[in-house]
Amino acid sequence: MPDYGQITIGGGTLSAAWFLGLAAILFTLGAIGVLVRRNPLIILICIELMLNAVNLTLITFARQLQDLDGQLFALMTMTVAAAEAVAGLAILVDISRLREVEDVDELNELKG
Amino acid sequence: MLAVAVFWIMAVLAVLGGLGVIVSRQPIRSILSLVVVMLALSVLFLLLSAQFVFAVQVIVYAGAVMVLFLFVVALLGPGRERRGGRLRFQWWLGSLVGLVFGGFIYSMLQGARFRPPQHTDLSTFGTVQEIGLGIFTRFLYPFELTSVLLLVAAVGAIYLSRGGRVGEGRGAAADDGRVRGEEEPHA
Amino acid sequence: MPLQAITLVILALPAAGSAALGLGALKVPRRLVQVVGPGTVWVAFLCSLVLFMDQFANGGKPHDFTYWTWLSSGALQVPVDLFVDRLSVFMCLVVTGVGGLIVTYSNGYMEHETDGSYARFFCYMDLFITSMLLLVLAGNLVLLIVGWAGVGLSSYLLIGFFYWRWSAVVAARKAFVMNVIGDVGMILGTFVLFAAYHSVTYRGIFAALPRTDSPLLELAAFLFLVGAVAKSAQLPLHTWLPDAMEGPTPVSALIHAATMVTAGVYLVGRLHPVYDLAWAAHGAVALIGAVTALFAASIAIVQTDIKRVLAYSTMSQIGYMFLAVGVGAYAAGFFHLMAHAFFKALLFLGAGNVIHAMNDEQDMRRYGGLWGQMRGTSICFLVGSLSLAGIIPFVGFWSKEVVLGDAFSKPDPSGFPQAMWAIGFATAVLTGFYTGRMWWMAFAGRPSPERPVSRPHEAQAVMMVPVVVLAVLSTVGGFLQINAGFHPGWKLIEDWLTPTFGPLPWQARDLEYFPTAATLLLAGLAFWPIADAFYRRRVWSVWSERLPFLQRLLERKYYLDELYDLLFVRPMDAAAESGDHLLEAPVIDAAPTGVAMTARGSAGILSLAENGLFRTYVLVMLGAALVGLVILLVVRG
Repeated sequence: MPDYGQITIGGGTLSAAWFLGLAAILFTLGAIGVLVRRNPLIILICIELMLNAVNLTLITFARQLQDLDGQLFALMTMTVAAAEAVAGLAILVDISRLREVEDVDELNELKG
Repeated sequence: MLAVAVFWIMAVLAVLGGLGVIVSRQPIRSILSLVVVMLALSVLFLLLSAQFVFAVQVIVYAGAVMVLFLFVVALLGPGRERRGGRLRFQWWLGSLVGLVFGGFIYSMLQGARFRPPQHTDLSTFGTVQEIGLGIFTRFLYPFELTSVLLLVAAVGAIYLSRGGRVGEGRGAAADDGRVRGEEEPHA
Repeated sequence: MPLQAITLVILALPAAGSAALGLGALKVPRRLVQVVGPGTVWVAFLCSLVLFMDQFANGGKPHDFTYWTWLSSGALQVPVDLFVDRLSVFMCLVVTGVGGLIVTYSNGYMEHETDGSYARFFCYMDLFITSMLLLVLAGNLVLLIVGWAGVGLSSYLLIGFFYWRWSAVVAARKAFVMNVIGDVGMILGTFVLFAAYHSVTYRGIFAALPRTDSPLLELAAFLFLVGAVAKSAQLPLHTWLPDAMEGPTPVSALIHAATMVTAGVYLVGRLHPVYDLAWAAHGAVALIGAVTALFAASIAIVQTDIKRVLAYSTMSQIGYMFLAVGVGAYAAGFFHLMAHAFFKALLFLGAGNVIHAMNDEQDMRRYGGLWGQMRGTSICFLVGSLSLAGIIPFVGFWSKEVVLGDAFSKPDPSGFPQAMWAIGFATAVLTGFYTGRMWWMAFAGRPSPERPVSRPHEAQAVMMVPVVVLAVLSTVGGFLQINAGFHPGWKLIEDWLTPTFGPLPWQARDLEYFPTAATLLLAGLAFWPIADAFYRRRVWSVWSERLPFLQRLLERKYYLDELYDLLFVRPMDAAAESGDHLLEAPVIDAAPTGVAMTARGSAGILSLAENGLFRTYVLVMLGAALVGLVILLVVRG
């Protein structure tokens, strides 16, 4: 059974698993950032990092399967990421008018 | 072997950038680290025959969106994260969960079998023409939906950041007031 | 216009008036209320006159106008039908005639009320007239019960008219509860009759009646008697009527004297084929009536509130009517009903004039000396008093003597009617005495030093005219039927009602002259000079000073209120109290409370998850994803 995971680029051959592993590492880093950091701005940035990792996965599979849908999906993800960043930052700015925003743990008005 | 070398260089760069994002205490450094990650990833995109996505990543993402983040940092000031606060256990618990999560993903990759690829003409794969054909034929509705999403996000952002009503005395309304201050001689 | 439509108009007009006044209570201008309120009643009176003409012309052939089917369920067929015969026309005339006079009078009496209350009052009054007309015109028992409950409702509303007065609210509630006891009797009686004869219409029931008495028939008759007793404030369900005097005086005149409380008499008259057969229940009617007459008259002797005296005299007089219909002298009972409507409405309206002039003071001991200052009212009140006392030639004399005479002369080996007569005779003497007491205390003599108004004003025209009309009726009304005093005199009322009740099955005996003369003489003596001597000239010391025990017994109304309190209210309260402790709290309350507490507790646990901390949410989210991954790995092997 041939290893479909090999991607031939130029002269060399790369395993798709490498790209996916890199994406996994970046995603994990982003997730840890979201969990650990308290500055809302950095949390947003970490989310962007996770989205980028996902993009890498999508594009890797697109290349491996030679199916363009993955790239198109990646474009959608970027658009959504942009929208998310805009909305998130706007909320951040709005909250910052009421108080100092340094710690998301202080924003717990929705406590049940 | 050039491709392999490029991949490893970029991979290391990306992981370092990712670490930089979550380690630094200043938002501005996180942002710049993220730019590094994005640029590294864009090179990888190029390796994976995604020229258009590469261009978008560099111009729109690393360029525009990150600049937006920088603006916000400039607006809010370079707030350093203080130590302490609530949920102190979250530091190690979050790291643990994240690492376990990553481990699981990694373990799943081991022994994963890939489906056989379609046989597409790789010489045109990922070009602007192909992307355009895909977007405006099969992905037309999702594409239009994302445009609506962007519009909503834009309107929402304008609404949220336009400031409070005049005279409510909210903290940052003073900024706003300065713009409107032309109507108020004593502002 | 056909007769059928006219009959419906009699009902519909006051109903429409009531609805219009009720819906527009705050908006309708006072002038319009003054027209609509009494106007609809008077038009209904005119329509009743048309029916009267018809009945007069056709010799008493009854009409049963069916308008539509109300309920249709197997054997149970309830049409909406109105029954027009000599009796219902007679009642319609009394209700709308006397009712019209009283509603007109209210125009003046209620003048101090706010516009909203003013319209509300006439709304209730028209509602009462509607219900009462439905009661007398109904062609079946179900419709009768609708009217029956309707008068109970409007009575409740009107007793509690001054709803900001606690005593009025309590009185209204008491009246309502007492009336509902009667309503239950009515409904059960209807069930029994329907079960036995498979019909609820008068015609159907009367056609199916057997020839002889049966336990079922007795049961039905007794159940209807419960309804009649409650509505007519007879023993033992009488206690609500004196309290009902909390309502405005025109209400007391219309509902609690002239019309509603006579509904029991009407019921017995309407169901006379049943009572003719059910001899035990029939005898009970007479016995209850006679005992109530004497009982109420004795209490009236010690009352000091003028309206309460009149209330007890009303009970007493209705007792006479029950006595009459109970011994089978239906026409006599209804003659007395009409006469009583005249003179009791007159007395109440006259009392209303006085109360109005006295700034709502109702204690007779604080009146005195009104004769010189309110001459018109005083004369009219005297006419009413003499009529009540049964003095010739006023209407009360003729009607009461017919009742007593018919009872006296009824041939019965057991002597039961004669015993009833004896009680009625004693009551007549007492009536003369307490009426005299009321008259001499309130109107004659010198003004009481405690009188709230030293120079009372005579009532205005709109109040005076109905009083005068009623005084005239009380004076000449008796000449409709003079056979009590003169044999053989004419007897228009009895002749009028003969198509409904049939002729009186026995002949009056000559001996009757003696009791008539005796009653007249003794009642007259009691009125004057005995009551006069006691209460105006004070020649004799007041009897109650010598008999404090009797005085106390009468003032406490034979302790019946206390007895009912002890027998029913206290045990009820105790049962409710123990139910509260034993059943309500640990069982009934515990169930919903337990559910609520469980919900609250679990919600409290769940709300720990909603701690508002963003990072906890992310952690949980990621942890859940982790769990999902583990499951995925395990399942996929």
